[in-house]
Amino acid sequence: MRAEIVLIRLGKAVAVVAILFWSLFPIVFIVSSSLKPGQDIFAVPPQWTFQPTMQHYVTLWTQWGVFFQGLANSAIVTVGATLLAVIASTCAGYVFSRHAARWLELSIVGLIAVRLIPPIVVTLPLFPIVNRLGLADTHLVLIILYATFFVSLGTVLMRTFIDQIPRDLDEAAAIDGASRLTILRRVIVPLAAPGILAVAVFVVVFAWNEFLFAFIFTGTNAKTAPLVISEMIGSIDGVDWGVLFAASTVQLAPVLIFVILMNRYLVAGLTAGATKG
Amino acid sequence: MAHTENRKWLVRPAWEDMVRKTTFLGVVPLLAPVQLLLLVVVILPSIYVVWLSFHVSSFGQTPEFTGWSNYLRVLSDPAFRSAMWNTIVIVVVAVHLEMLVALGMALLFNSGIPFRRILLVAVLAPYAVSEVVAVAMWRFLFDLDIGPITLLMQGLGLPILEWSFDPIDATVMIILLTIWMHLPFTFVILYAARLAMPSDLYEAARIDGATRMQCFWRVTLPLMGPAILVALLFRYIFAFRMFSEVWLLTGGGPARSTEVVAVYLYQEAFSYNAFGTASATALLMVAASLVLASGYIWLLRRQVKNAR
Repeated sequence: MRAEIVLIRLGKAVAVVAILFWSLFPIVFIVSSSLKPGQDIFAVPPQWTFQPTMQHYVTLWTQWGVFFQGLANSAIVTVGATLLAVIASTCAGYVFSRHAARWLELSIVGLIAVRLIPPIVVTLPLFPIVNRLGLADTHLVLIILYATFFVSLGTVLMRTFIDQIPRDLDEAAAIDGASRLTILRRVIVPLAAPGILAVAVFVVVFAWNEFLFAFIFTGTNAKTAPLVISEMIGSIDGVDWGVLFAASTVQLAPVLIFVILMNRYLVAGLTAGATKG
Repeated sequence: MAHTENRKWLVRPAWEDMVRKTTFLGVVPLLAPVQLLLLVVVILPSIYVVWLSFHVSSFGQTPEFTGWSNYLRVLSDPAFRSAMWNTIVIVVVAVHLEMLVALGMALLFNSGIPFRRILLVAVLAPYAVSEVVAVAMWRFLFDLDIGPITLLMQGLGLPILEWSFDPIDATVMIILLTIWMHLPFTFVILYAARLAMPSDLYEAARIDGATRMQCFWRVTLPLMGPAILVALLFRYIFAFRMFSEVWLLTGGGPARSTEVVAVYLYQEAFSYNAFGTASATALLMVAASLVLASGYIWLLRRQVKNAR
């Protein structure tokens, strides 16, 4: 009996180590390699003790100005898309939470059905239209696209979170003479903050990392960081791994820290989104 | 008390109208942003895609009605068939493997392990990694000349993944990569479902003399059934539209052998300017993912019901 317990413990420990290795090894590897001097990156077996150097980051800074421009574009697009998606989803989620009518029910079914359409499908008709409107290669087009692909999930999430706020609070505020917008701003938004953060996590991660739309709709002006990294991967004169790792680390670090800090809201959003939406 | 009730009945105060009644004018402005975005970006373009799929069209030409010929052309194109086959293989293998691993992890996490919160965050980490960076990692780790994993496999005398010229090995790479990126999602859904299960069910089962295995098959699995179905449905639909991983890892090569449907669609539209056939591909893609998803879900649902 005792041997069995020890075996189970051992099995669990092995499983935990395997899970940690699987999840973290690629990330740790890329970050640590970005700090390795020149040839150490290719050392066999990989070196875990080395003199950390910023040389790849210096090269990145001096030779890949376009990457930092890409980071700025990514930041603009991410902030814009997150604001748009959060505001739109909160307004709609409030309506769906507080009102019930047949056409509202239908419209929420439509909202969920829209998610079945893959993003690449809408690029076909949008590509010529965006070009004609002169919106190609602008931040605006990415902001709109990124926000749109999350307002559906966002609305359903916000409804779930707002459902937990008692209606009495709305009514009390209304009796005091608050308008609908005031109720939304002063009562609903503060109390639904966890929901708003959950929606924000989704949009931030998506917009910061997205490749397909950026690839199709931007060229030079609004080119985002992932696009620049993809060019580094595909560069014809061979990949400069050190610089690629440095760029990957810079692109990854902010969003990874964000996800770690917001993990509670991410988990809440994922579970609410999957069960309710 | 009766007095106020009466008054409410006779003259409804203005605030009540605002909060309780669903008036078109009161509600529509708040719904408008979401509805407008979806209408302009998703719904109208999708309708246009349906229309395009029945026309021959390319840049600068007036579209011409051609009936089903785009669909026939796509369906008889060997490159499409190979892309569809690759997609189905990747979806079926990757999603189910991922589900098994996630289920195992959810049960492990629930069985009482130390540092659960920290481990959960570690498992979530790949969720933050972009497709581009993940591909950079994979390309280096499995590089045929310098990749540490390739060298490790060689050192151990194991077969290596010759992903840059062997289509099967390339598919294995894509599957590994997509599982790595999406395991956090599947895991969180299953783990939350496991946490939500009442523990007295297990006590009851134990008292009735159920073994560990019986508990798993008769209690855990049926109760987690709905969560498993939801996670599967999401993953089928999302895996079916996979583009970036494949595009960045293999570009669909060697010789179009690892293309998936989304990559085929991209090539038709943006490399060959054939928007008609690309649109037909798009609709076939949506239809196939729906059929695959609903078929599996229907089967599983029946099994879950039977198991109860």
